[in-house]
Amino acid sequence: MAKKLLRTSPSSSNKFNSANMTDDFQLHLDSSDDDAPEEVTFEESKASALRSMKNALETSKREKDLLKEKRRKRQEMFQEQKKRRLLPAHILEEIDTAPSKKQKLPRDQAESNHEEAYCSWEEGREGSKEGYEKETKKGFKGNIRRLKGNYSVMRVADQSSTNSQQQTAMDFIQARLYGPGSQRTTNNEVLSLQNKRGPNKSAAMQFVNKKWGTEKKAKAEKLKKQWIQKRKVPSS
Amino acid sequence: MGEFKVHRVRFFDYMPTAIRAMAFNAHTERLALGRMDGSVEIFNFADRYFQEKVIPGKDSRSIEALCWVGGRLFSAGLNGEITEYDLENLRPKYSLEAYGGPIWTITSNSQGAHLAIGCEDGTVKLFEVLEESIQFERNLDRQKGRIISLSWHPSGTQIAAGMMDMIRVFDVPTGRAVQRLLVDRGFGGSKSRETVVWSVVFLSDYTIISGDSAGKVQVWDGHTGTLVKTHLVTKWDVLALSVSKDESSVVVGTSEGTVIQFQFIAPTLQQQQDKEWVRTRTFKNHTHDVRALAEIETAIVSGGMDTQLVVRPLLEKFDERSHASALRKIQFPHRNLVFCAKKAGLLLFQFPGQLELWRLGESDGHGKPGDSLPLKRKPEKLLHLKRKGEDHICCSALSSCGGWLAYSTMSSVRLYRLQTDNNDISISKVPKLPKILRSAHQLCFSSDSSKLFAASSQSSVLVIALSQSECKYVHTLKPKSGSRQPIHLMTNSVDGKWLATANSDCEIHVYNVQKLKLHCIVPVYGSCPSAMGIHPTTNNLTMVHADQQIFEYSIVEKQYTDWSRKLQKQGLHNLWLDRDTPVTHVTFNPKNPEQILLHDMHMFCIIDQSLPLPDQKTQFYNQMTLRSLSEQERPSHLHAFKICKTFQDLLSVSLLDDQSLVMVERPLLAITCQLPAPVRQKKFAT
Repeated sequence: MAKKLLRTSPSSSNKFNSANMTDDFQLHLDSSDDDAPEEVTFEESKASALRSMKNALETSKREKDLLKEKRRKRQEMFQEQKKRRLLPAHILEEIDTAPSKKQKLPRDQAESNHEEAYCSWEEGREGSKEGYEKETKKGFKGNIRRLKGNYSVMRVADQSSTNSQQQTAMDFIQARLYGPGSQRTTNNEVLSLQNKRGPNKSAAMQFVNKKWGTEKKAKAEKLKKQWIQKRKVPSS
Repeated sequence: MGEFKVHRVRFFDYMPTAIRAMAFNAHTERLALGRMDGSVEIFNFADRYFQEKVIPGKDSRSIEALCWVGGRLFSAGLNGEITEYDLENLRPKYSLEAYGGPIWTITSNSQGAHLAIGCEDGTVKLFEVLEESIQFERNLDRQKGRIISLSWHPSGTQIAAGMMDMIRVFDVPTGRAVQRLLVDRGFGGSKSRETVVWSVVFLSDYTIISGDSAGKVQVWDGHTGTLVKTHLVTKWDVLALSVSKDESSVVVGTSEGTVIQFQFIAPTLQQQQDKEWVRTRTFKNHTHDVRALAEIETAIVSGGMDTQLVVRPLLEKFDERSHASALRKIQFPHRNLVFCAKKAGLLLFQFPGQLELWRLGESDGHGKPGDSLPLKRKPEKLLHLKRKGEDHICCSALSSCGGWLAYSTMSSVRLYRLQTDNNDISISKVPKLPKILRSAHQLCFSSDSSKLFAASSQSSVLVIALSQSECKYVHTLKPKSGSRQPIHLMTNSVDGKWLATANSDCEIHVYNVQKLKLHCIVPVYGSCPSAMGIHPTTNNLTMVHADQQIFEYSIVEKQYTDWSRKLQKQGLHNLWLDRDTPVTHVTFNPKNPEQILLHDMHMFCIIDQSLPLPDQKTQFYNQMTLRSLSEQERPSHLHAFKICKTFQDLLSVSLLDDQSLVMVERPLLAITCQLPAPVRQKKFAT
């Protein structure tokens, strides 16, 4: 009654002498058991060794295949993204043929081009279609079109005449003279103070001058009427 | 005299622009004023501060500083360009891009050979002044902050530049920065903000005086780079500085609206003390920030955000009190902005950006003098015509029948045909104007609306014939004197025969329109004419000059009239001559050929030629007295000048065909309401 033991250690890939194996076993078994040594036939052990080897080979092959698959998938994804960033071929052609007119592209042509590009992109993308639509809509301000790299195409006439430097300079002066910390007041207050301190004392400007602050006065009238209405309704 | 129904018009929302920069040319005694909307005005200080020329602004132009080089005027602005102006054709000659970003200041050296500009990118650029243009020479050492103000040393070897938190002194031949003067920041809350040195002045003894945003005026020693004295003059910014020609006095303008004078005198009278800069006078003539300042020989000229030009003569330079030593405030322009169609009862208001056409209201009532009549129909705005393009409107005209409207900018002239059928108005542009009609300094329609007169370059007048809906160029009327100055006044006679023009050289030419040639030249008087009018029946040309002299010239006889000679012999009353605003409009009463109607900003006057002229001892403003006298006593006290001061801040007075007067007033209070915010000043007991 020999127990059949399956050897699963990796070192079994070596072609062991069955005798040696049995010896080893015996040593192990002897320590725990007093039974007679087991008999494992050569064929069996050979078969098991071969099997384990095959398994190992298979697993390594599978792993390699898996890695390959992953790499391939990644590459595909990159290709897809790259294709997405480029404009479709026909627009690139157009731009190539008219490089000098980049600055003055007429508005409708730009729009139609954009529309065509937009449609083709729409076809190609399934997943994040809405997200991408939003992106293009936001990016399309006036006639600014993004090309590959850091270039953008826009009409010179659409730019306002005050460029950014001039605007910064004007903002600087406005902030220094009228910005926070400049302690300014209103014309109303200055004139009202003049009225109150002058030789003929009179009321503040908005009461003396009928035309002053007509919107505020109209609003105040309206609120007053509303309040009167409110008071009447619950009492009536 | 009779009663007049008066249309009191206050719906003209005229809003002047704030003054940004000024420069005084001592040789020609002209002051150039730059406003925030880009327009430049030239005042003749020798001729009662008359506004001689106006160069209209442009949307893209901005003026931060002005400077004179000889007789040439240069300006620089935040659009990064230096512009030279052609003062004979009232337009910019050319604009040079400085490629330094926005330009904050421009100044010329005392020899007049170089211009220095201070740019946003921290460079001081030097330009060489050539015959017909300027040329970039070189940059001085580039600095880290923006250059806000510049001042040349009188020798031309050094420049002081006011920047943020410091003043740098450059050596011009090498371009290196030799000194750095550090300006303290303000105390308290403003310690976190950088101090901006708004203006700086370099004196010939190497003293530098600076005004900064912390409200200090500091005196520095330019040799050693040390601070000599600090004067804290205000809690707000010190925006402008100006030094007098002899360097004994410096005036300083602040955000509060005060102008403070510092003089280089010995502080006490004893023992030959050293002279130093002592604060002497304070003038409070402005309600808003003072941004432009100039100290001329006898006066201090200041202008700022409250749009008024104030000339404050220094009383120690005058021996006696006269009109020359009185405070002058120039608030309204010295030319017409309101045009009236007498037959149709329409008013045209000229704004820099648009034209407005209004129909006057109607009233049926009758009343005593001084009553307000109820309105049957309110005045209504018929047309709001916006200008095309960037240039501001230079001049405009409305024909007396109300059928034609024209306006001109620096680059184009536009002519429109108006049709009013009861309450509808239709306007159609006249296409294809003659090519020669490029821009006009003044426009005027003939009284039968068959011709348009356009004042063009070199004092010439283009005559354009108008028919149903088109126009044709007829002729150019040229003056014989060959003057190159622009025309600023033009008037024509009611019968369509005569046209009179006046230019900035004080020449008045009268042309015969039917024969299309020069008829005569009025003898030149030293002062510029401020208003002219041709009488409907006698064809006498009445001229009022900037120094308040009145002349009457008979065009037919080519000589002054008897009345005019009598007036000159007697002399005008002192109170008339002491008035400080010029007469801007002369008109006549068809029903009473003896009357001449004139107005200036503060009064309206009817001169009755049949009445005796007042002498120096007569009471000049006698209307109130006459009313209190009885019928028998009145005739002995009457004199020719009847002045009415009921209507104030007048922009225009005209007489319609139905004997009603139109007074267009613009109350100064209404202008003050729309100004930008003034500083908050804490006053006692408020």
